Amino acid sequence: MTASWQEDRKRLTPDDVQAVTFRLSRLGRRGLDEEHVRSFLRDVERELVALLNEKVSLWNEVERLRRRIIKGMKHGDEVLFGREDAHVHAVRILSNAQLTADRYVADAQAYSHRLTEEARTRRDEILNEAQQHAELVLAEATSQASQAAIASLNAPAAPQMEASRSALKAEIAYLRTFGEVYRTHLRAYTEGMLRSIEEWERNEAGAIEQASAGASDLLDLRRP
Amino acid sequence: MDARRLKDSLDSVARHGDEVPLFFYSDLFIKHPEVRDLFPISMKAQREHLIGALAQIVAQFDRVDELAVFLKGLGRDHRKFGTAAEHYDAVGDSLLATLAHFAGDTWTPELANAWSDAYSMVADAMRQAAKEDEATSPASWRGIVVSCERKAYDISVLQVRPDPRLDFVPGQSVAIESPQRPRLWRYYSIANAPRDDGTLDFHVRLIDGGAVSMALTYGQVVGGSLRLGPPVGVLTLDARSPRDILMVAGSTGLAPMKAIIEHLARLQVSPHVHLFFCARTADGLYDLPSLEKMSAEHHWLTVVPATSADRRFRGESGSAPDVVMRAGNWSGHDAYLAGPTEMVRETSARLTAAGTPGDQIHVEDFGWSER
Repeated sequence: MTASWQEDRKRLTPDDVQAVTFRLSRLGRRGLDEEHVRSFLRDVERELVALLNEKVSLWNEVERLRRRIIKGMKHGDEVLFGREDAHVHAVRILSNAQLTADRYVADAQAYSHRLTEEARTRRDEILNEAQQHAELVLAEATSQASQAAIASLNAPAAPQMEASRSALKAEIAYLRTFGEVYRTHLRAYTEGMLRSIEEWERNEAGAIEQASAGASDLLDLRRP
Repeated sequence: MDARRLKDSLDSVARHGDEVPLFFYSDLFIKHPEVRDLFPISMKAQREHLIGALAQIVAQFDRVDELAVFLKGLGRDHRKFGTAAEHYDAVGDSLLATLAHFAGDTWTPELANAWSDAYSMVADAMRQAAKEDEATSPASWRGIVVSCERKAYDISVLQVRPDPRLDFVPGQSVAIESPQRPRLWRYYSIANAPRDDGTLDFHVRLIDGGAVSMALTYGQVVGGSLRLGPPVGVLTLDARSPRDILMVAGSTGLAPMKAIIEHLARLQVSPHVHLFFCARTADGLYDLPSLEKMSAEHHWLTVVPATSADRRFRGESGSAPDVVMRAGNWSGHDAYLAGPTEMVRETSARLTAAGTPGDQIHVEDFGWSER
């Protein structure tokens, strides 16, 4: 409607009515110029008719749109704002929410994947190290034992050297004790290693459980 | 049925990639919010399968007999998800809306009718199969955890008692859902022959980042409950065959082999069974003691453990196919293979190349479902 105001320059405005000053009548007659007053009243009448017509046509337009919306709500199509568009829009919103939820799940899974993978690698390393250490200790003990055996075989078997024989016996007894002590150490070391692995596995399991519980809390987005 | 036309229209729609299943599921969930509860939180896997499943169905429209078998399995399998008869109409609506949305100007009333007819046929077949199945078996079983035993760092054996009793053929699998991971189902082979008390053993390997395997390994308490789907799978004993048997099991691929061996042990006469049990390290040969006990009890059973990356292991070493192939000629045997996909594929190919006929090689195939 603004457009038609601007197009029609001749239209009467409230300002015009406010500002009008009627000419005085010609000399010898009293009052306002009658012709001028009539012409102004014609303008006012025309304006009133135009306004009334505009009002009726606007009212019709409003009614038409109202009917269209009500009809659209009932039948689902031919709606002014496009029920189809609104549905596609809703589908898009839900799709985006779903993609976000999917990313949360994927991130949680990737995190848990990393955790377990690292735990597995660390476990393999510790086991390997323990095994290598055990092998080393064992090899050392074996070599000491065989050296002792060789030494006792090579020792001069002089019967007169009673002293050296008893010294050798003491040496063997020492080595035997030494071997036992070493074996005990080895056993204690291995068992300690196993205990720490078990402990660590338990902790890891707890941590994973916590992590995945945390992830599922985060993921409580079942209805995006 | 104009299969060609449906295929062409599906191909052109499928070019929109992930957008298509994304639109389909969102449309379905907006129109029928109650259906959302039948699906897991993350819909990624579902979306990845939708177009493939549609393409597979459309491709089979000209082979009606095969399609009927496929749809029967699909309808029966969907019962465990809580699929009801009315859901099929909702899915059909959204499927057509999706195709129409992406087909744009090429969507005609004729094409819409063709799709509508095709979908009705598929839905009717699935609904029919589900209905027939209802008469004889529940949609899913409740499984009470009887025990959960850690056999190796990453392998647990779960014993479960299904309620009601679940009848199966040795070598078959069931899908398992843990209450901690709702709507996520994974297939596990049953690792024993049917027992009087109805319990089932499952060998669960912890997969790094595996949602369900983690819940089953760490989350189980004795007395807790799981949900089990119906028995499926084709890795079952060919009882009519007179041939001796070669079994190759990689890691927890041992489960179906153990079930079949237990079954054979109950027969009066068993063919000779040569079982290769393969793992990366000796640690992974988690069930060797019980296998060795079985082989001591049954003269017809030979067990060969093998590792591929364990220098301390004193048995056979090398990849599963290498160990199997250098051990002898298997062309006169029935071969049963289970384990990592790559191992099964490679072993199957090597056996075929060495003269074992294809129909003597048995591997698992769930057909319509992912593992």
